[in-house]
Amino acid sequence: MKHRLPLVLAVVALAVILPASTAAARTTISMSGSTSVAPLAAKLAKGYLKAHPGAATFRLAQGGSDVGVADVAAGRVTIGNSSRDPKSSDPGGIVWNRIARDAICIATNSQNALSGLTQAQVQAIFSGSVRDWSQVPGSTVSGPIDVVVRTAASGTQDAFQKIFMGSAKVSSSAAQKASNGLVAQSIKSDPNAVGYVSLAFTKGLNDARYKGVACNLRNSKSGQYEGVRTFWMVTRGRATGGALKFIRWIQRSKAAHAITATGWVPIRG
Amino acid sequence: MAEPVSPATEPNRSDRRAELMLGALASVVLVVIVGMVVFVLTKAWPSFAHNGLAWFGGGGNVDDQLIAIFNSPADPAKYVYTMHAWPLLYATALVTLGAVAIGLSFALFAAIFIVEFAPNRIRALLEPVVRLLAAVPSVIYGLIGILVLVPFVGNHVITRGTKESVAYVVQLSGSSLIVAVVVLTVMITPIMIALIVDALRAVPGSWTEGAHALGANRWRVVWTIAVRAARPAIVGACVLATARALGEAIMLSMVSGSVGFSPNPLDGLTFFVEPMRPLAATIVDNAEGLSVKPLGQTLYAFAAVLLVSSLFLSLGAWAVRQPMKRYGVRP
Repeated sequence: MKHRLPLVLAVVALAVILPASTAAARTTISMSGSTSVAPLAAKLAKGYLKAHPGAATFRLAQGGSDVGVADVAAGRVTIGNSSRDPKSSDPGGIVWNRIARDAICIATNSQNALSGLTQAQVQAIFSGSVRDWSQVPGSTVSGPIDVVVRTAASGTQDAFQKIFMGSAKVSSSAAQKASNGLVAQSIKSDPNAVGYVSLAFTKGLNDARYKGVACNLRNSKSGQYEGVRTFWMVTRGRATGGALKFIRWIQRSKAAHAITATGWVPIRG
Repeated sequence: MAEPVSPATEPNRSDRRAELMLGALASVVLVVIVGMVVFVLTKAWPSFAHNGLAWFGGGGNVDDQLIAIFNSPADPAKYVYTMHAWPLLYATALVTLGAVAIGLSFALFAAIFIVEFAPNRIRALLEPVVRLLAAVPSVIYGLIGILVLVPFVGNHVITRGTKESVAYVVQLSGSSLIVAVVVLTVMITPIMIALIVDALRAVPGSWTEGAHALGANRWRVVWTIAVRAARPAIVGACVLATARALGEAIMLSMVSGSVGFSPNPLDGLTFFVEPMRPLAATIVDNAEGLSVKPLGQTLYAFAAVLLVSSLFLSLGAWAVRQPMKRYGVRP
């Protein structure tokens, strides 16, 4: 009875340490960062293991683009996923590898059959200088506009600001939601709402057609649709070893392009 | 009854061992709590230090301030910390007090019904249901709120005229104070009912029987004897409910409106459909930016306020309960 506790502790400790040490013997690619990139990264990792069985062990964590960049700069992960472009305030010594592109769609409630917004109109609506749908030609609802945006820390918010808003500031009375899914739900339940979501979240919403071009995979691929941002895998210094092979595979192999093309725009490179 | 008595030294040694083990566990809890408070306060300190008492005041737009903090330059000397958190504190207080006040009146009468008036069959059904409701995870209430209540309020309660009257100040879309309070009330009331039921049952039978013998009717006995005696437990129930309401984050982040706005009572009925965002929900919504140091410190400051207010809540409840204890019961 007396000596059982240390024994139990030892067994528990072994159980924790053993798998960790055997895993460390193979190449481990750990990733953290953007929640927008995470679904794609998971699919790509699965595909990579299918093409090269046992080539690496993957660990995928989320947390947002800023987390990914900070983690990889500090050497806590092999790859940091980012859905925003490099910033001047980013830590030094990191390399940004393009892996795919993703469309950001402006969406309204399905009752509002708006089809076509110019950049000036998008800026006027999201900055709050136009506040009523009757001032927006093509809108099939009337009344005050409810603007739905993402919180400041989101990579999607960062990309929206850069691509659509330029130097205009998003109105501070806009509702700030914490995820793509919550923005989509707010738009679905409110006929007067307008917001922006990643292409994968547009089901059940009306596409407001930025610059008159439908927001879909084909138009993003051809470059006709302009609301497109880049997904990055960030490494500390140039990628080496397993990470290099993985990123090369994503950028060059046909299999990886096929996986990416299920919902994103592949990159030739 | 007639179990063999073991030698005197044996039980003493195992008793001592148990005592030491339990003592060690209890001290670990204490150390963890003290450590947590110290950790949160040190993390939060820069945010308080830069703003002083103005941190608790109003001024400017909270969301703009959060964005400015998030976009601080990389140089630690130039970090932005300006934060006037009044709208968030006000929203937290409004939602919590509203839900606890409504919840308490509901829970008190429901508990009296269950203990004193309900027929046996209904009681046998009601009690397990109440206890089950008390255990439902809050995110489920959040889902119901966002899928049912928010669209209902947005499309049927808020009129076009109401929307237009405040369009230049705030947008009304259904996510609002009233939805937050209603969902929170539904969330905390079952816990209060369960606790008050236990308290009413613990009132000694001789007290109520005595009152009956003196000719008081059932209602009068319950109200003047049982409820009065159960007051310390009722305060305890309120404290638990308040603590749960204060800390509720996910559900409130889903239904409250996601804008750092202070609902204005002068707006009349519109006040109830105005959006706002309490402290805990603000922490959840901005958790993605935790790696930006000044934003992380500001979020820790929000956490510190919540932590300190729940400490004061316990102290306040203890003080309130003292004079009630003389004739009170505690289950």
